[in-house]
Amino acid sequence: MIQMLFAFILLLSAGTAAAQTSQRADVLPLTTKSEEVRRLVEKAWDLDLDQVQQEQAIEVLRKALKIDPNFAMGHELLAQISLDPAEQVREQQKAFATRGHASVAERLIVEWLQDASDHKLIPAITKMNDVLSRYPHDKWVVFLANWWLTQQTQYDRAIAVFENSGLDSPGLMNNVAYTYAYTRQFEKSFALMDKYAAALPKDPNPQDSYAEILRLAGRFDQAIEHYRAALALDSGFYSSQFGIADTYSLMGDQVRARQEYEIGFKKFSLPELLRVQWQTREAITFVRDGDYAAADRLFQAIADDAHAKHMSQPEADAWRQMAMYQPRPKQAIALLAKAQAAVQQGKNAMAAAIQQELAQILRARVEVAVDTGNKEMKASTLAQLARMSRNSSDKIIESAYHGAAGAVLFSDHKYADAIAHLEEDTNNPFSLQLLAEAYEKTGDSSEAHRTNETLANFNDPTVEQALVVPAFRKCYQDPSCDSNFKGVSLKKSFPRTF
Amino acid sequence: MLALVWMAAASGTAHAKQFAIVADSANSTTNLTSAELVKIFNAHTRVWPDGKPITIVLRDPSSADMQLILRRVFNMTADEARTFIHTHAGIIVVADSDDAIQRFVANTRGAIGVVDLYSLTKDVRVVKIDGKLPVEQGYLLRGN
Repeated sequence: MIQMLFAFILLLSAGTAAAQTSQRADVLPLTTKSEEVRRLVEKAWDLDLDQVQQEQAIEVLRKALKIDPNFAMGHELLAQISLDPAEQVREQQKAFATRGHASVAERLIVEWLQDASDHKLIPAITKMNDVLSRYPHDKWVVFLANWWLTQQTQYDRAIAVFENSGLDSPGLMNNVAYTYAYTRQFEKSFALMDKYAAALPKDPNPQDSYAEILRLAGRFDQAIEHYRAALALDSGFYSSQFGIADTYSLMGDQVRARQEYEIGFKKFSLPELLRVQWQTREAITFVRDGDYAAADRLFQAIADDAHAKHMSQPEADAWRQMAMYQPRPKQAIALLAKAQAAVQQGKNAMAAAIQQELAQILRARVEVAVDTGNKEMKASTLAQLARMSRNSSDKIIESAYHGAAGAVLFSDHKYADAIAHLEEDTNNPFSLQLLAEAYEKTGDSSEAHRTNETLANFNDPTVEQALVVPAFRKCYQDPSCDSNFKGVSLKKSFPRTF
Repeated sequence: MLALVWMAAASGTAHAKQFAIVADSANSTTNLTSAELVKIFNAHTRVWPDGKPITIVLRDPSSADMQLILRRVFNMTADEARTFIHTHAGIIVVADSDDAIQRFVANTRGAIGVVDLYSLTKDVRVVKIDGKLPVEQGYLLRGN
């Protein structure tokens, strides 16, 4: 019903559009000469947001831009949703170059996202808010703002934009439900998920999203029920099959998790990057079991396979994750060197992904240096990471730097300074654990408690989660485990002890 | 599954917030030291260098966004801040949203306010603290 309503609004606009710009006051003016282009943009919305068919949506936008190459907003939308990094860059440039043909609001959007891309954050923010003040109820404006703010980890502001919009398009509900979940407002998230599922009862994605959010909330059995419901609606919806496997792994049933991963690998032909991602998750099941030899074999196979296929970033990531659980620091350093060599190859990878991977490798090196007391490696690697962070507005790179800097300051007993950095990396269990301890040491027991609760409820199926959270929970829930020394005792129980 | 390729999944933690100190666009002060900022917000400094009286505009001290400001600028609890605001009613104004703060600052010569960086509009000017903008590392009003 909502999709039809928006289609109707645009048709009305189109009907009166002797001019090139749609006229309705609360709808973003789309400046194009072609009514067919307007129809295609609407179709791209339905495909990308409501049906989560991103590749098809990209094709539709490409078609629209062949019809009207001067359609600046079309170039901008394609730049934002393209899966091809070269196309992202090319389309952003075209959007900027053609913005003179567009309405004021479209120009503001293009310039906001250009500023963001150029690391000019303050002008980007003011332009975003300018366009939001003009079109607070337009679905494209709300979607782009919600998406960009979430990328910036500004969840509260992202939610405020949606709540102020009064919109209830299924695609927006899906995205915003995740934003609520990231802020642990699960009841609001589930309420949106109920509406999303009711709006698209035959679509597997609402069930898949519902499952993922239930898993974030730690409601694993219900998550598996929803993943199975998604597969019942569409047996080819592979992300739900791997969602089941990830969930069993988080629940602690690694044997069942591996069975579910294998079912997925046999049943589905997967895009290469996704196949590597879930192979890595399967390797992590062995880390969770403490069977590092088996984990090594699988990570080695993933890295070798990625190398053979000239996929530098997945290869580097496999080496990096393998380094993280190594009991011997020399081995960890050797693996991180392999990871760094792979990213330097940079084959078949977008520049941003390579830089993000490099930042995470450097962060891991800093942690090894901290653990071994290697001051020179600690200082030089942190300095390299600081330079990368200063020259980038990439949140992953910034977080890697702050996590590393926080770990260094913590090891130097500079707890207040460490807190300022660790608070910028709260999506990483290593940082959360240090942060809770730093709060404790500075006498802020309420923040320490809140951070411990966050860590105990951290349910992402990552290697960092595997290395920190299960052991932390064990101690956290055990009254005989002295809360003042939880961080210390857990550090001693980590695989990487020297 | 989410639409678009999103960043790495978030944990559900409160990420560090960034706040901007904003003044009206005619204000010639572009930078304050931390000490100067504290003196202004504690009503020890009541006029700008050009002689214009200072009016401070804030969110309610009990709001989540104000907690960092209370700790780092006022050095007060929410209750203490509420009492302080009450006793300085002619100097300090409470607004119910960042938009309201910015509208007040934009229309009041000599006004200074504090807002979430991501609410910033073009109608006000950002004042640096210790030479730093809110996006720079080491900025005072960044944290949880």
